[in-house]
Amino acid sequence: MDNGTSNSASENETITLKSCDGIEFHIDARIANRYTLLNNWNGGESACIPNVNGKVLEKVLEWCEHHINDPQLNCGDDDSRRRNTIIEEWDENFLSCDQDMLFEIILAANYLEIKPLLDLGCKTVANMMKSKSPEEIRSAFNIDNDYTPEEEEQFRKENEWAEDY
Amino acid sequence: MLALPNECLFEIFTKLKNYNRCLFSCLLVNRQWCRNVVPILWSGPVPFENRKFIRTCLMALNSEEKAELIPFNIFLPINVKLLFKYTSYITTIKILSDDGIKKWLDLEGPPELAYHSDLNYIVRDAIETIRYSLVLMFLRTSNNIKDLKAYGMFYSKTTSLLIEIADKSTTVTNLSFWKNRLGPEGTKLLAEALCKNSTLTFLDLWV
Repeated sequence: MDNGTSNSASENETITLKSCDGIEFHIDARIANRYTLLNNWNGGESACIPNVNGKVLEKVLEWCEHHINDPQLNCGDDDSRRRNTIIEEWDENFLSCDQDMLFEIILAANYLEIKPLLDLGCKTVANMMKSKSPEEIRSAFNIDNDYTPEEEEQFRKENEWAEDY
Repeated sequence: MLALPNECLFEIFTKLKNYNRCLFSCLLVNRQWCRNVVPILWSGPVPFENRKFIRTCLMALNSEEKAELIPFNIFLPINVKLLFKYTSYITTIKILSDDGIKKWLDLEGPPELAYHSDLNYIVRDAIETIRYSLVLMFLRTSNNIKDLKAYGMFYSKTTSLLIEIADKSTTVTNLSFWKNRLGPEGTKLLAEALCKNSTLTFLDLWV
């Protein structure tokens, strides 16, 4: 299988990644290559990952390691990839963490441009919202309602066709 | 909740495309969610046959388009504005039936236009004019319409407007005319328009 970038790293090479709070991870260089984790590397002894703390980086790396042999997605798959909400069992278990961690993983995946992981996180959140009322969603995700009552009523009225369609 | 940036929210709501009931719930959560959901909800298939959809779209008519309806005693409020330019996100228009317009007339239109019978020519005229104004408005407000489908119509103002689309270079790439009784004049116009068209990639004519 050609995963595009694997030829630049040999079997046993390891790379050190450092989280924003200074925790170091020694990882297989193929993982770093496959998921382009080295964008911020300036060629020193270890690559720094700003904005992602050790706890979250550990999870992200765990996911990358498990998915090291996944094929690269073609651009043409983009729409179908975005739309479907099916999640594999391993991934589902992986993301059955607390909500803050789930959002941290989404933020990190977005920041590190790990598309398949971003996708997976977004699918998980989307599935959590299915068949919930606005009030249930607010309380599930601890979100404040910043609408005025009049505004909320107008939005409801203007879009209520969606409720029966 | 940890605040997610708009790009992440957009990704999440994209997963819910076509789950309209769920998108509707998300839209009512708060303002930030609403801003991200509206483009996704309105760019999916929209129900021309739904009364509530028709009601919102009628609010998007401009003053000239509203004026078309005045002869039928349909006075749409002039100063009430929609909270979003919803129709600018529309990508698909499928005019498969006038049921939405009929039900709107029944429940929200002037009493004399309540939909009793197809035989009443004033009601029929009113339906035709509403449909025409709506299509005019869709074409004016959306730059994203790709898919246009008209079903079961007689040759009329609306069909000639739809035929005109084929005549111009527009964003429309898919055009379907199903079971339309265009008559010799409409058919000729459609044939001429199609000869000139250079943007369509899909055409479905089913008589």
